Amino acid sequence: MKDLVRQRLSINVDVMDLLNEQIAKEAHSSSIYLAMASWCDHNALENSAEFFYNQSKEERDHMMRIFKFINDNGGMAISPEVTDITHDFNSLEGIFESALEQEIAITKSIHNIVLKCRKVNDLATENFLQWFVKEQMEEEQIMRKALDLFDLMGTEGIALKLIDERIPKIKE
Amino acid sequence: METILFKSRYYTAYQPEKGRCFFVDIRGKKIRMSFCQLLAFRQKVLAMDLDAHFDSELNRHGIEILTLCNREHLFILDTLEVIDLKMFVQGIFAMSELHALVTV
Ligand SMILES: [Fe+2]
Ligand SMILES: [Fe+2]
Repeated sequence: MKDLVRQRLSINVDVMDLLNEQIAKEAHSSSIYLAMASWCDHNALENSAEFFYNQSKEERDHMMRIFKFINDNGGMAISPEVTDITHDFNSLEGIFESALEQEIAITKSIHNIVLKCRKVNDLATENFLQWFVKEQMEEEQIMRKALDLFDLMGTEGIALKLIDERIPKIKE
Repeated sequence: METILFKSRYYTAYQPEKGRCFFVDIRGKKIRMSFCQLLAFRQKVLAMDLDAHFDSELNRHGIEILTLCNREHLFILDTLEVIDLKMFVQGIFAMSELHALVTV
């Protein structure tokens, strides 16, 4: 009997489900970063605002990358719902801390899908995800660099302004 | 000629000899599905909240409405049928997974 499912779909169907969950996570990240950008904007932290606007856009790009991958390979990509976006933040330091936490959670989620790929011999998706594994390392490093600035300069007085001025450099 | 791809208590999936499509038998109604429609069907079934069936607040009547192929077909299912349907859709795809595992 010919395997019609395989003829139509190049990736494992359970892996496809995980990729769809990942789409929702990237969309969620994108929205959270947008909320963070808004807070920075309101608090006159221009460079940080710019940084998070840009992060938000990147997360949407990640989402689209997975979205296209699923559809290109015969699967069904699902447009995500985004809920539970908080706009309450206490400080810029707090924002970067939760940004790092979030990136770590995303890293774990990506690794989890890679492990699933290995279990079901989905080499195509595993290969596709290598880009994300590398990207997540970089994302975590960037957030850590931002937090290093707070360790170095504190948050008193002019320090916050100086930190904001250095934010564009952490992506270099 | 057609082969049975997977059969559960209430449902059967067939694969015809010719043509790249599937047939799913639900309550004696034989529905033709393209692969995309089969994926959409799977998605809808897996998204059904079975736990809610055991909560008189969340799903008061213990039923589920399933529409298929752009609402061309409509079914009302009870809890037992939903449980069976969830196993059914997984069974269809498990066949292909087995295939992949033995041929690697
Ligand atoms: Fe991302
Ligand atoms: Fe990220």
